[in-house]
Amino acid sequence: MMAGGVPLDPDAVAFLTAAGITDGTITTAIDTLVTDLKFYGLWSKMKAIYPFVGGTATTHKFNLKDPQDTNAAFRLVFAGGWTHSANGAQPNGTNAYADTFLNANTMLANTSNHLSYYSRTSSTAGVRVEIGCAIGNNVFHVRAAVNYIAGDLLIVSLSNVNAQGFWTGTKENSASRKGFKNASLTDFVTTNNTTLYPSLNIFIAARNDSGVPSFFSDKQSAFASIGDGISTIDVINYYTVVQAFQTTLGRQV
Amino acid sequence: MITRSEIPQGQETQFVGLLTIEQKDKLAGQLYAPDSYFNPIQDGNEPPNWVISVEEIDQTVNEEFMWVKDLPLIPWISAKPINPFEDATN
Repeated sequence: MMAGGVPLDPDAVAFLTAAGITDGTITTAIDTLVTDLKFYGLWSKMKAIYPFVGGTATTHKFNLKDPQDTNAAFRLVFAGGWTHSANGAQPNGTNAYADTFLNANTMLANTSNHLSYYSRTSSTAGVRVEIGCAIGNNVFHVRAAVNYIAGDLLIVSLSNVNAQGFWTGTKENSASRKGFKNASLTDFVTTNNTTLYPSLNIFIAARNDSGVPSFFSDKQSAFASIGDGISTIDVINYYTVVQAFQTTLGRQV
Repeated sequence: MITRSEIPQGQETQFVGLLTIEQKDKLAGQLYAPDSYFNPIQDGNEPPNWVISVEEIDQTVNEEFMWVKDLPLIPWISAKPINPFEDATN
């Protein structure tokens, strides 16, 4: 596949082919996203990237890192009331969630990991979780405009009056947990933590609480990712890349 | 109870479709549209009702389950989260 006479990145082609996407704008946006992530050294740190393009559950389900239609490739399975559109995937805040099939315990290093969620919704009402899992005190989640928790109950604040934006929680090592809105650090903790994460699949638009989806989100997602821990510089670059991607698609906030 | 056509525009998410136990069992794990599964949940009434969302009802194209479009609708009452660490995560 080509765009403007230039061959597309093979990982972009694989994703677009799997999702059946031929739209020129989306093709350009995905190709640029992949090449930029590789340029900044972020691609190899990702285990799952959900760009939510194409406007349907069938196109939104694919993991950009491994766009196979299998649980092992962390393809999403949507349940409950979702509204899919060109702006992303909108959960209803009542019973909607997506299972990533990415087990937090077995697929992530407990001292190097991150979660991200791009929310197009501003509301901060309700007790909601955008991405994560938990068993009792062992919590791993991002709540847009509220907090990021990774491995215990120590809170990294993401407090904000507006939930719109790109929310990232990253654990660079056992003594460094940081929360970001867009490219801005909101809070950090340096308390050592080496807790093994729950052996549960990470859910999007809810938290997998011991196998039960809870705290359903009402925030429209235009991007989400799960992967290794990323540094402050990485997050700044990541926001630049993701925001450019959203701007190309005309859905940035 | 009201019908789908009686819900004012913009208030759809304030209502849910009421299910019997038998209907809940029929929908669990089934597709309502491509790559989209029903997720019957219990509401916050006492005793709790099994319900599905208006989005699931509206988007159902699976011929086997078109009967959901005739479900009675009731106001959505959220079940109180039972996670004991809800406060700690606020």
